[in-house]
Amino acid sequence: MKPKVVLIDGYDETRLLSRSLIEKRFRVTAINESMDCCEKLAEINGLRVFHGDGSKPFVLEDAGVYGSDIAIAMSEHDDANLVICELCKKKFNVKKTIAIISDPNKTDFFLSVGVDSVVCAITAISNIIEQHVLLNDIRTIMPIAEGQVQVFQVNIPKNANVIGKHLWEISLPDEVVVGCVLRGSSSIIPKGDTCIASGDNLILLASDDYKEAAVHQLTKI
Amino acid sequence: MSIFKDIKNKSKDNGITIIAGCGRLGSSIANRLSEDGKDVIIIDSNSESFRKLSPTFGGVEIVGDAAEMFLEHDADIRNAASVIAVTNHDNTNIMIAQMAKEFFHIDKVIARLYDPERECVYRDFGIETICPVVLSTSKVDSMLYGKR
Repeated sequence: MKPKVVLIDGYDETRLLSRSLIEKRFRVTAINESMDCCEKLAEINGLRVFHGDGSKPFVLEDAGVYGSDIAIAMSEHDDANLVICELCKKKFNVKKTIAIISDPNKTDFFLSVGVDSVVCAITAISNIIEQHVLLNDIRTIMPIAEGQVQVFQVNIPKNANVIGKHLWEISLPDEVVVGCVLRGSSSIIPKGDTCIASGDNLILLASDDYKEAAVHQLTKI
Repeated sequence: MSIFKDIKNKSKDNGITIIAGCGRLGSSIANRLSEDGKDVIIIDSNSESFRKLSPTFGGVEIVGDAAEMFLEHDADIRNAASVIAVTNHDNTNIMIAQMAKEFFHIDKVIARLYDPERECVYRDFGIETICPVVLSTSKVDSMLYGKR
């Protein structure tokens, strides 16, 4: 049985998410408060669309939310997302609820009243912007566990100190792991004896505290 | 916030009532409690709303977002005896009421809800609810057919 996912509100988010979820063979239902958005969403192949306020129990019932595997509340109002998640959990036996919130201070509160997972878009975005501003050598960053762990890409500059060295020769902090080396069009899963070459892109997994030390170590000239 | 100190001291007996939302219901409850000599803090995001309070209202008016004050663990809220959430939005009322229970374990938490169907959310949290539709329906019923 394909997992059932319900996306509530958030037009742009629903559009992107539903496409990728349907591709991954999820059964996706979208609930949206705006009729305009519903009409546009209805053009997506394989997406079931319902019009209505997702924080109202009868709308969730009509949309057949009962027993779904995942519900994602993405409205712009944090309080609505809370109620949607709680209704889904308590009244409709949804296994996993996810709330998107705009005020990062509410994260702990949401988790403590039983929302399974909380995503704060503003925190995520400002983290990314911060990284782009502070560290030029870092490319993409993906925060995990509320930003405590980061996955990111480091480009090795032409005359960096580490070029030609084996991975075991480079003294990276303990809490940093090199997960992958991208060289031209190939990707290498590195071992201790992998050599670093100029122009390599390293995918690192690091705790937030040691991230900058690792980047410094790898890019210093 | 020191302006509330005098309130806190004299209110040991019955405690402060916090009212979120100064609409018709919020202001009417605030006026009544204030008349009875109770200590009231009323919160609304719009300062114009406080015009609904009677000129003799003796409580404290705060312009701001009630949910945010709960999040910041505001000292005056921590000492409250009861919280009444009567903003215009059901979802906001539910959230404020849950914060009052979850953060401060306030005994008496009342939320006004337009939609009685959402009840399952707060039953588990020990939040009392009033629903205008249910109250009006039973009132009309008793007016039409007398007491049942």
